[in-house]
Amino acid sequence: MKHVRIWVFYISLLGGFPLGYGQQEEIPVQPIDSLEVKEKVPLSLRFGLDLYRIIRSQTTDDFNGFEVVGDLRLSQNFFIALELGAIESTQQIEQVNFTTNGTYYKLGFDYNMFENWEGMDNHVTIGLRYATSSHDQFLNNYTLLDRTRFWEGSNMLISNGFATGSRPNLNAQWLEVAVGFKVQLLKKIYMGLSLRLNRLLNDKIPENFDNIYIPGFYKKTENNNFGAGFNYTLTYRLPLRFRKK
Amino acid sequence: MGKGPLKFSLGLFCIFFLFQCEKDDICLSSIQENPDLVLLLLDAEENRLRKSPSGFSIRAIGTDSILPRPSSDSLSLPLKIQENNVQFEFILNQGTEEENRDTLQINYQRFDTFINGACGYRSTFILEDPPALILNPGDNWIKGFTILKDTIADETRAHLGILH
Repeated sequence: MKHVRIWVFYISLLGGFPLGYGQQEEIPVQPIDSLEVKEKVPLSLRFGLDLYRIIRSQTTDDFNGFEVVGDLRLSQNFFIALELGAIESTQQIEQVNFTTNGTYYKLGFDYNMFENWEGMDNHVTIGLRYATSSHDQFLNNYTLLDRTRFWEGSNMLISNGFATGSRPNLNAQWLEVAVGFKVQLLKKIYMGLSLRLNRLLNDKIPENFDNIYIPGFYKKTENNNFGAGFNYTLTYRLPLRFRKK
Repeated sequence: MGKGPLKFSLGLFCIFFLFQCEKDDICLSSIQENPDLVLLLLDAEENRLRKSPSGFSIRAIGTDSILPRPSSDSLSLPLKIQENNVQFEFILNQGTEEENRDTLQINYQRFDTFINGACGYRSTFILEDPPALILNPGDNWIKGFTILKDTIADETRAHLGILH
């Protein structure tokens, strides 16, 4: 029942988007806003949440996580950007079942390439992040690689013994190229989507296992340093320095 | 809002879905699976040279599965993973009046080591000392054992020699 209410809340958020969007288009007509164009862009802080990870945490049992996002506007088109997140995820990959638990942060910048019409503040951005995670891996169970399976029970699930258990104090560092856009829904509310291509720099390999999944980087594949991710954000802008009248 | 960002974001989606089509990790068939124990039959008297007995076969105890015919003079025996020992019947002069059956128990410990995400884990077996016991009393044609390599991690060379 609690979940249903939360869902209704999300759906109502989504439903509100076109409404706010429609209102936004009226703004250039107002004479006050048209004067803003030559004004200096105020230093502003924008912060919010990733909606995708919240929805996924609610709808699936094997994922629990969130991501907080924020950026600081330094000039018309330049932003310092930060993402912080925490993830607990259980996965079955081929013959191995494991739980990854950890936190990550990503720090970098976004550059806006989109020229707005008067009074609007939408962004199409390209940016770079340096990211690092702190996590642990727990091997829950596995079956052994055996193609012939001569003995009965050779495909049994092994959930105790020498190999299973926790690998604490792991970490990883990577770079992300982030491309995305942010749409101004209301005067101070933005919706954003960004896609990331990740390049792993370094990771501490767990003993007798691997970082198949890294919080924030996502799936690490064999002999491949690249990964991909995305976020879908709702953010609120807080002006820090007000315009001179 | 102009159509520029819309087209741009559509383009981004396309690029993203291309990246999403990353290759799945596939466990190559060339990767060593759980290793079998590789046996050699050696002469007990003459400097432990390889010696093939006549009418020889091996039967696994506790299963109806038939062991594959050996392709060379070395024999591979699959080991059980749920126990630390396995029994085989070594039959000499099968079908004749001089038939002689020896029941052997092989003792080992199992450690599982990670290969990669696609293949998962495989076992490494370590032979105990002594590596094998003859379970039936009396007239045994097997005279003893010798460990050639106590760590069973691959099948490239023999691990256990059977003296007869």
